[in-house]
Amino acid sequence: MHVSAAGFQKVFQYADMFKEGMLCTVYLSFFTVLLGFLLALVLTGMRMSDIRPFRALGLDKDGHLRDGGFLLALSKFNPIGFVATAYVEVIRATPMLVQLFIVYQVVFNKHVIDLPSVTVLGFLKLNRFLPGVIALALNSGAYVSEIIRAGIQSVDGGQTEAARSLGLTQGQNMRFIVLPQAVKNILPAIGNEFVTIIKESAITYTIGVQDLMAAVKAAQAGTFLVLEPLLVVAVLYFCLTFPTSKVIAYFERRMSRGDKR
Amino acid sequence: MATRDSLIQVTDLKKYYNKGTIKALDGITVDINRDDVMVVIGPSGSGKSTFLRSLNLLEEPTGGSIVFDGVDITKKKVKNAEGKLVKLDIDMHRQKMGMVFQRFNLFPHMTILDNMTLAPMQVKHMGKAEAEEKALALLDRVGLKDRADAYPIQLSGGQQQRVAIVRALAMEPEVMLFDEPTSALDPEMVGEVLDVMKQLAHEGMTMVVVTHEMGFAREVGSRVLFMADGKLLEQGTPEEIFNDPKHPRLQDFLSKVL
Repeated sequence: MHVSAAGFQKVFQYADMFKEGMLCTVYLSFFTVLLGFLLALVLTGMRMSDIRPFRALGLDKDGHLRDGGFLLALSKFNPIGFVATAYVEVIRATPMLVQLFIVYQVVFNKHVIDLPSVTVLGFLKLNRFLPGVIALALNSGAYVSEIIRAGIQSVDGGQTEAARSLGLTQGQNMRFIVLPQAVKNILPAIGNEFVTIIKESAITYTIGVQDLMAAVKAAQAGTFLVLEPLLVVAVLYFCLTFPTSKVIAYFERRMSRGDKR
Repeated sequence: MATRDSLIQVTDLKKYYNKGTIKALDGITVDINRDDVMVVIGPSGSGKSTFLRSLNLLEEPTGGSIVFDGVDITKKKVKNAEGKLVKLDIDMHRQKMGMVFQRFNLFPHMTILDNMTLAPMQVKHMGKAEAEEKALALLDRVGLKDRADAYPIQLSGGQQQRVAIVRALAMEPEVMLFDEPTSALDPEMVGEVLDVMKQLAHEGMTMVVVTHEMGFAREVGSRVLFMADGKLLEQGTPEEIFNDPKHPRLQDFLSKVL
């Protein structure tokens, strides 16, 4: 295919659309990470909760822990944690596109939740943007919850044993010993999740969110050029993600410098 | 049974896994008296560590009882002073049992001083100044006062283990549990840790020590327990155990390690 400077000049007539699309992508990613992180905190709280309605079944008639069997397994069952884990597994095992369409076409159709056709933050169409953010956040929350869980599990079990043997409660152990160490593993991974979302947010173009991909479509339609708009958008995505991941890497290095292990 | 000086009475302690097919502890009965230095020896996989970790319920037993300070800590519910059934406060009992681990388990994100003051401040609600003063005095005892502001990684293994010992002592426990405290150390650092433990024993601290250091058992131990296959096969003074072993498993074990 022939790529010419003249072609790019034509594409640059759509600079304003690319600019708005880029801002839209940034807003999408920002709100997605924010909501997704809050959801992840709730999911993690549910999974780490110690609400076990059948706890007593794990003990024999003398009050000792059973040495195995169905009742011991049942006593460890945490329904709230189960719901959260099931949610995470379903989200991770189904395509993002399907989740997006379910949110947009099933939840936010005009018979269920009818969003007004208004413009927010200057140029964003609320009835497209909000379902996009919510679908992305529902998805991201599940992944971030896994990141947090893995970060907590990566802390050596001996740390908890030492804390508990000093008389610290489970809550104090979490607050003073486990979480401060887990954060060092969690924060860089959440930064990478931010980069992933910047790229994945392109999928919301399919429900009519006016992000960078919408600018590409408009430029392609107006100029009859296929490749040039795509190259421009690829460069723009790169300009968003590459510095972000460099900033994350910088903080990662700084944190591991403070890591005295 | 329980004498006046008895601190912990362990009766028929069991830890089974997989419906009893694995018996990590198979009916251990032993009295631990105040001022005892009880050394637990035995081949690996004999249940020594499981026994020690059961004493402060890091392992939950599947049978038997552990009466510590008059309270059976294996029960989820205990009678309080008014005779009412209340939930057992295991954190309260753990405060009185210091524990030292094979892998030190210092908190890597805190300075030595913060490692020492965390539990006294958070659990005993001691003031910062008082906690730090006590911590520094303890560190001085093990010759590490000048490392108070260092992080654990900056210390050698032997130094870390000495800190771990005084970190547990900062809670003023009634008994100290040692889980193979020298097994992860380079040989040249074993002595410095054993010296601290000897000093502690001479000061009258009640200690339960799981170790492979037979010299320590012989020299410092007031009683020696020999465990194998989750059972307590022989117990006695160091002289009885090392000079006149009765059980063939003990004779076999000693012939390999001495």
